[in-house]
Amino acid sequence: MKRNVILFLILLLFFPAAALAEESYTFDTSETEKKPYHFGGYVELRPVLNVLDKDAALYQLQYYRDPRSTLMEWNGRFQLEGSYEKGIGSVFVKTNTDLRYSSFANGNERTAIFDGYGTLKPSPSWKVEVGKKTLKWGKGYAWNPVNFIDRPKDPYDPDLPIEGYIMATMDYIRSFDGPLKTFSFTPVIVPVYDHINDDFGVNNRINAAGKVYLLLYDMDLDFIFAADGSRTARMGMDFSRNITTSFEIHGELAYIKGYQQPFLDNAGVLQSRTQNVVSGLMGIRHLTTFDLTTILEYYHNGMGYSADDMKNYYNYIRQGYNGYQSTGNTQMLNVAQNLATGGYGRLSPMEDYLQLRLSQKEPFDILYFTPAVTFMFNLDDQSYNITPELLYTGITNLELRLRAGFIRGSRDTEFGEKANDYRFEFRAGYYF
Amino acid sequence: MLKTIVFLMTLLTAFPVYALDGTALLKQVDRNLNPESYDMYRKLINVEPDGKKKEFTLFSAKKGVDKVAALFLAPASEKGRSTLRLGDNMWLFIPNVGKPIRITSLQSVVGGVFNNADILNLDYAAEYDVVRVDDSGKEYLLFLKAKNKNVAYDQIKMWVDKGKKLPIKVECLTEANMLIKTLYFKDHKDFGGGIVRPAVIETDSPLYKGYKSVMIFAKIKKRSFKDEVFTLTYMPNLESLR
Repeated sequence: MKRNVILFLILLLFFPAAALAEESYTFDTSETEKKPYHFGGYVELRPVLNVLDKDAALYQLQYYRDPRSTLMEWNGRFQLEGSYEKGIGSVFVKTNTDLRYSSFANGNERTAIFDGYGTLKPSPSWKVEVGKKTLKWGKGYAWNPVNFIDRPKDPYDPDLPIEGYIMATMDYIRSFDGPLKTFSFTPVIVPVYDHINDDFGVNNRINAAGKVYLLLYDMDLDFIFAADGSRTARMGMDFSRNITTSFEIHGELAYIKGYQQPFLDNAGVLQSRTQNVVSGLMGIRHLTTFDLTTILEYYHNGMGYSADDMKNYYNYIRQGYNGYQSTGNTQMLNVAQNLATGGYGRLSPMEDYLQLRLSQKEPFDILYFTPAVTFMFNLDDQSYNITPELLYTGITNLELRLRAGFIRGSRDTEFGEKANDYRFEFRAGYYF
Repeated sequence: MLKTIVFLMTLLTAFPVYALDGTALLKQVDRNLNPESYDMYRKLINVEPDGKKKEFTLFSAKKGVDKVAALFLAPASEKGRSTLRLGDNMWLFIPNVGKPIRITSLQSVVGGVFNNADILNLDYAAEYDVVRVDDSGKEYLLFLKAKNKNVAYDQIKMWVDKGKKLPIKVECLTEANMLIKTLYFKDHKDFGGGIVRPAVIETDSPLYKGYKSVMIFAKIKKRSFKDEVFTLTYMPNLESLR
């Protein structure tokens, strides 16, 4: 008996897993009881160290008054969400507060309701929603050229939540047997008036848009339109399909009518051109037997600037910067800053991009650990950005991510003229 | 002559096994595990070699042979995520991402030893053909082969309790006979409505040495759903089924 106890203790000491193997598992079903309401949230701390490129045009535009070689930013995010459901109706609200502090911009805070809408669901086939929400149309990972209604997502962090627009939507769903398994139609109305979606486009318009979704021959297909209103008319389609269990292809195609683009000519004079443009995306997602996920996407941005356009813009900033240094006049730099918000400062301002993302799930048997690297290539000027990252989600509700950014390119290229050469970021997020 | 006698005797001894309809037996196992259409709750526990655990709670709904949906209820970081399977098609909906993305059966939305095919499992008979049945006294050993290349495991060996017609152990293998994981079916429980089945499935894998994942079942009940519930457009609304 004593010998058995000693043997068990030795086993417990050296092989705790063996002792655990006999553990009985319990499932307290009270935790599955449904409540009509739900509250939750997310809090995040995100310090970022930027190593700046003093010769870059966007550095000169941003830091001309306050030169520096590095910038430390302290970012915080606080999200609260709640819902209430009764019968066929429900409401959902999600608020977002962003906090930022740096020695350059000092502290600032912005709070917004990201989502806030009511839902009526009289049957599984019908749903009506009214309020502030996002639609997230498109199949691309980094970009969505057919996402005509939402604010653009960050291609360097595509899973970040974004603020919605106030709208009314409806879903009608039908299922079938045969090659067409699902049909759904989602019409959307987006009003734009003073204080209602007033950053969407031209004021005093009611915008109509819609999406038809089909699951046809195991392929997701969407046909999307947005009628002429606050923005010019546009239409598009997307698709996604698994070729094998581990290989998916997807694509998007968008046609935008009468797109008006402000630009600087080579004399530094502000011009505008109106043209019908086509944007598109083709991508694959592949998973190997050893859990390496590859996402490769090519994006053509019909609304983007050419390499020559960008060169004119960077030259304009340099002239402004030189002028400021010799005379203290900031007029040209102010114009350049306005142009940045008007298109030159977009996250993907040029025409052709390639993104390759490799992520390895749980290497060396380290559970919940995912190292990844993302390569972003600008095909127009051959500049690039490499972003390695380490993600750990092993502690319940806690997400830890360490990320670096290596931003490379010659003069007059997109990544060569970014304000920073390197970026180091740590993100700790907790869900509750 | 001697060869003929040996052949006939071999045939005679083998007859009881060949007489058994393997496909019918597998279908019986499927029905004993779950009704054809049902909803249920599950807890998934990933256990690391040092004993550290991570738990997930899911609500699941299934209809017919090829429609399954699951909604994560806990922990808070996963709440609201849902997965959908329509035959060979699988999608994951993450509330922050806001749109369903296609996933594959070999990936795992929860990490650990269970993959998406284990979480969104269809009937075995819907995905596998019975190629052989061995009778070893108390148990049957079923050798299953995937019906097509889209199925997560190319081969399965299933040990079935003869009396209860329920699985005891399942080995999942590659085409090259490499063991991917073993599922152990434990703790038979009466869920009501005539459903008596194992309430716990444990799994381990030579690919994850020392790790273990456990699936605990609760509140399995027969239920019918409209087909429209199992669509991409409905994925953000699965909570309303509970």
